[in-house]
Amino acid sequence: MKSILRAPDRGRWFKLVGAAASVPVLMFAAACGGTSSASSTSGPCKPSDSPVITLAAYSNPYDAYGKLTSTFTSDWKDSHNGQSVIFQMSFAGSTTQATNIVNGFPADVYASSLDPDVGLVQKAGLITHDWQNDQDGSIVASSVVGFMVRPGNPKHIENWNDLTQSGLQILTPDPAQSGGAKWNISAAYGAAMRGQVPGVAPNDPAAAEKLLEGIFKNVTVLDKSANDSFKNFESGNGDVAITYENQALAGIAAGSKDQFIIPPATIQIQTPTVVVDKNAEKHCVEPIANAFVKYLHTPDAQEVFQTIGYERPIDTAAAAKGGNGYPAVKDLFTADDIGGWDKLVSDTVFGPDGAFTQAFKAAKG
Amino acid sequence: MQATATTRPISRARLRPGAAIGRYSLRGVAFLYLGLFILIPVAAVLQAGFSNGLDDLRAALNSFGARNAIELTLVMAALTAVINGVFGTLLAYIFVRMPFPGRDLLSTIVDLPFAVPTLVAGVMLVALYGPNSTVGGWLADHGIHVIFARLGILLALLFVTLPLVVRAVQPVLLELDLAEEEAARVLGAGSWTTFRKIVLPALRPAITAGALLVFARSMGEFGAIVFVSGNIPNQTLTAPVLISQLLNPTNYGSSGGPAEAAAVSSLLFGFSFVVVLVTERLSSRSSGWFFS
Amino acid sequence: MTTVPARPSHPRSRERLIRGALIATALVYVLVLLVAPLAGIVYYALKAGLGEIGTTYNQPDIRHAFYLTGIIMIVTVIVTSVFGVIVALVLARDNFRGKALVSAFVDLPLAVSPVIVGLMAVLLFGRGGWFEPFFAAQGIQIVYALPSMILVTIFIAIPFVIREVVPVLEELGTEEEQAAWTLGASRWQTFRRVTLPNIRWGLLYGIALSAARSIGEVGAVLIVSGSLQGQTETATLYILRAFDQYQDQQGYIVALTLAAFSIVLLIGIETLKRRSTRRAR
Repeated sequence: MKSILRAPDRGRWFKLVGAAASVPVLMFAAACGGTSSASSTSGPCKPSDSPVITLAAYSNPYDAYGKLTSTFTSDWKDSHNGQSVIFQMSFAGSTTQATNIVNGFPADVYASSLDPDVGLVQKAGLITHDWQNDQDGSIVASSVVGFMVRPGNPKHIENWNDLTQSGLQILTPDPAQSGGAKWNISAAYGAAMRGQVPGVAPNDPAAAEKLLEGIFKNVTVLDKSANDSFKNFESGNGDVAITYENQALAGIAAGSKDQFIIPPATIQIQTPTVVVDKNAEKHCVEPIANAFVKYLHTPDAQEVFQTIGYERPIDTAAAAKGGNGYPAVKDLFTADDIGGWDKLVSDTVFGPDGAFTQAFKAAKG
Repeated sequence: MQATATTRPISRARLRPGAAIGRYSLRGVAFLYLGLFILIPVAAVLQAGFSNGLDDLRAALNSFGARNAIELTLVMAALTAVINGVFGTLLAYIFVRMPFPGRDLLSTIVDLPFAVPTLVAGVMLVALYGPNSTVGGWLADHGIHVIFARLGILLALLFVTLPLVVRAVQPVLLELDLAEEEAARVLGAGSWTTFRKIVLPALRPAITAGALLVFARSMGEFGAIVFVSGNIPNQTLTAPVLISQLLNPTNYGSSGGPAEAAAVSSLLFGFSFVVVLVTERLSSRSSGWFFS
Repeated sequence: MTTVPARPSHPRSRERLIRGALIATALVYVLVLLVAPLAGIVYYALKAGLGEIGTTYNQPDIRHAFYLTGIIMIVTVIVTSVFGVIVALVLARDNFRGKALVSAFVDLPLAVSPVIVGLMAVLLFGRGGWFEPFFAAQGIQIVYALPSMILVTIFIAIPFVIREVVPVLEELGTEEEQAAWTLGASRWQTFRRVTLPNIRWGLLYGIALSAARSIGEVGAVLIVSGSLQGQTETATLYILRAFDQYQDQQGYIVALTLAAFSIVLLIGIETLKRRSTRRAR
C-alpha cells in the first residue's frame, strides 16, 4: 500500500521537520561560533595558541585595565614563545558583575570594587583560594570618596553635613547594583562615627543615621553604577555627585570644569582583583590568570593605576599623604577601621537595622 | 489527474490527501514552537518565583519601594493608555476621514516608534529635556522637571506606544459603513454628535483593545525609562527596573535574588496575561482574533 | 414629503475650523512627541561632521557590535517568520478548543518586560538552571554568550509576523487555495504558489517589524550578554557603554544608524506595498 502522503506532501513533511530541527542546529552553530576555543573544552587542558582570559570589572577602570591588559599581553608574548593572550573585558556595576558571575558569566578574573562583592562569588563556590590573605589582601588600587561640585563650588560643599542643606540635589549610585555606592555611604557613616563631621556626635550610630537620612533626602537619582552616576552629573544634572576621586580626575582630564572636593574625613576605597578559580580552571587559563593578577601588584602596574587610572597608592598612610597633585587627606580611614565589611554589610550600615537601611526608609518613605 | 466525467461530489478528504497528517503536523510544529519559546520560559519564572510558596513574593513586596514601584508602573501605564487612547483615536480619525496635504507623511511618522530602539528614544529625551539643553533649562526654570521625574517617564511611554492605538483603530474605521453617518448628517446631527453617537460606539472595542495593549506595553518598558527616570524608590522607580535591582542580592534589607525577581515578574505576568486575554476578546475584526 | 432642512452654511465653516483645529492639535502632538526627539538624534549625530561618522564605522568594537546585531537580527527574523507563518496558518485556518488561549500566548511577549525575559534566560540556562547541566556537559555556553542573546530576541519578536499575517489570511479566505487543490496541486505547491504570494505584504511588514524590534532590543540583552566589549556587545549595548565611557559622539552615531536602518526598512516596505496595490487597481 502506497504511503498516504503523496510525494510532494512527504517533501513538505520533511521540510517542516527540518525547519523545526534547524532551531537547535542554529543555536548549536551560534554557540560554537560565538564562543572561543578555550571556553568550550570540558576535558583535560590542552595548550592553546591564543588563550582567552575573560575579565569582569567594575564600571570605571576601563582606561587602566585597557593599558594593563595590553602591556601584560605583549610582555607575556615575549616571555612565552609568542603565545598571544586575548583579554575579553566587561565593565558594569561591581555587584551586578558579582551576580552575573554567580549566574554563570564565565569570568576568569574579577576586578571588584569592594570585598563583599568578592565574597558573593566566593560564597557561590567559585573562588577557592584565601584571597583576603593574599598579597596586599588582593587590593590592587585605591582611591578616596569625595564630592564633585560645579565650578566655584557654588553650594559651598566642604564636609558631609553640607550635603544635608535643603534644596540640594545629590547624585550617588544605587547600593543594590554598585559597589561604589556602598563606599560612598560607608564614608559618610565612618566620618560621622569618627567625629569628623561638625554637628554629629562621634560614636553615635543614631547620629550617623540622621546624617545619612539628611543626605538621602537630597538624592535625586540612583544610577546603576558609579560610572553612570558620574556621567549623569557631567551631563548637567544635580548639584553634587558623591564619587570616587579617580573618576573625578578622569573627568577633569577629559575637559570637565567641575571641581573635586575631599572632605576632611573620608574612606579609602580599596578595590580587590581576584582570580575566579573554578572558571579559570575550567578554561585552562589558571596560570595565566594568576600571573596577570600577580602583575597588577608590581610597581609597573601600580604606576599605570596611578597615572592612567588616577588612583592613589595602596598603602593607607601613603595614600593619605597625597602629593603629586593629589591633596592630602586629614583623616583617611579604611573599612576595617570602622568595623570591617562583614559587620558593615550585615549589621551596622546595610543590615536590616543598619544606619543606611533605616535612614533610607526615613528619607524616601 | 482524474479524468472522471461524473458529477459525484468530491469529498474533502479526497481533495486533500494527507490533509489530516498535514493539519496535525502543522499544529504540532506550531505548538512545539510556542511551547519551547513561550511556555517553558514562563513556567521557569513561575516555578522560581513560587517554589517557596508565597514567601518570595512577600519578601520582594516588602523590599523597599517595591509596592510603590508596582503602583507607579500601573499608574503610569494607565495614564499613557488614556492619553494615547485619545490622541491615537484622533490621529486614526484624521488619517481615515480628513485628507490633507502631508497626511501620508504624518502616517509614516506615527509608525516611527516601532522603528526607533527604545534606548535611543530615552537618550533623545534626556538630550532634549535634560537641564543642559535649552528646552530643558527653560522648563526647569519654570519648575517643570522632565528628566528624573515622572513627566519624563510619561513622555518616554507616550513616545513608545503611540502607534499601537492608531493601528488598532484605523482598520476598523476604514471598514465602517458610512451610510449611518450620512443618515445622521442628513437628519441634522452635527459632526460632534455624529461622532459621539455613531462612530465612537462602533470604535469602542478597537480603542479599548488598543489602549489595553498600550497599558500592557507600558508596564514592561525598560529601555526608554532606565535613562530617563531617576530610579528613586517611592518616587521614580518602576517595576521593570525594580526587577533588575532584585536580581542582585542584598537589596535594602531584603535579600533579593532571582527568586524574588521571579516572584514580582510572575505578578506582572499575571497582569499582562489578563490584559492580553481581554484585548483578544475585544478585537472586533470579524474573523480576527476573536474566537468563541 | 417632509422637507429636509437644508444644511445651513454657518456650521459648515465652523466645521472646517474644528477640522483644522483637530488636525493642528494632532500635528503638534506628533511633532513634540516624535519628531523633536528624532530631529535631536540627527542633530547630535551629525554635529561632528561626516568624517567622524567614517571613523566611527571603522572602530573594531563598533563593527563587531553591528555584526552581532546583524546576526541576531537575521536568525531572529528567519525563526520568527518561518514559525510565525506556521502558527498563523494554524490560528487562521484551524479549529480547536483553546484557540483564544494560544492566541493570547502569542501576544504575551509584547506585554512582558525585557528584564523578565532576561531573567527567564538566566533561570533556564544560568548556573543551576533547568537546561544548564545538559549544555554544560557539551561545553556550550548559552548565557553570557550569543545563543542566549538570540533566544531572548526571538522570544521578544515572536508576535510580530503572526499578528500581521493572521488578519490577512482570514480576509483572504480559502477559496483560492481550494481551487488550487481541486486542480491537483499539493499542499506545498498551494502554499508556495497561492498562499505565500497573497500574504506577502503582511509577511514582509511583519518581518520588518520583527527586524526593527530585534535590532532595538536592549533590556533583555543587557542581562544575558555580560557586555563583553567587542565580543557580546550588540549595537544597543555599545550605545549604553559609549555614553558611559566618554564616547558620546559615537553613541549618537550608532543610535542614528540603528534608527535609520529600521526606518528605511519600514518605509521601504510601506512604499512597495502602496505601489503594488496602486498597480493592481
